[in-house]
Amino acid sequence: MEEHSDLDRPWVTVVWNDPVNLMNYVTFVLQELFGYDEPTATTLMLQVHHEGKAIVSSGPRERMEHDTSRLHAYGLWASYQRDS
Amino acid sequence: MKTFRVTRGGDVVARLDPAEAGIVGLLLDQLEQLLAADTDDVAGDPVMARLLPDGHRGDPELAADYRELTESSLRSGKTDDLAIVRATLPDGGGEIRLDRDQAGAWLRSSNDLRLALGTRLDITEDTEPPDDVADEQDQQLAVYYWLTALQGSLVDALAGARGARS
Repeated sequence: MEEHSDLDRPWVTVVWNDPVNLMNYVTFVLQELFGYDEPTATTLMLQVHHEGKAIVSSGPRERMEHDTSRLHAYGLWASYQRDS
Repeated sequence: MKTFRVTRGGDVVARLDPAEAGIVGLLLDQLEQLLAADTDDVAGDPVMARLLPDGHRGDPELAADYRELTESSLRSGKTDDLAIVRATLPDGGGEIRLDRDQAGAWLRSSNDLRLALGTRLDITEDTEPPDDVADEQDQQLAVYYWLTALQGSLVDALAGARGARS
């Protein structure tokens, strides 16, 4: 049973704050990769900046791996994990 | 330097002085060597760890799976971007003129160059541009902030062009 509920829990992709990536760059990349409008992307970027991280997408593990690698291609500091 | 802007025809243009073009060329050489290096030789290198970070934190098995799945295509993507930057970098300075795909390569590569320099220099959110350039460290820091201005202008140019399209 526990394993089953584990499987049901979705996965998320997290972007972490880092001192190099520019704020306008992070906003631009989130729009580019996920199709967010500018206000949404800006809100997520500010969450990364102020709180240290933000969830930028959620879904099946394979898709979160893919999203993480697309973020890594742009140099964002990202990882995927089970939603907690 | 004249920072990036988008022309009426949609090209993305900037202008570099000879010394600036030379510096970008050197930084590209360093990044290229790092990306071409044998994985074992650069294991533990902090710059490589930042350019190709773990995909999963806390679960080494998942992190290893992710690396096996993505590392070679991430490496080749970065190498392809770098080749486009090199091909469009004016030898001895002059105008950079890019289409949208080439501008995307410049965007990602200039970020990789900043990540590499920033990691080596141990940049934090409190780091500030050097007041005067007294030693090698100041010089590298000055290059870092110069690259920041260049990349920032490219982001603004592309974001502005996207805003105008939608």
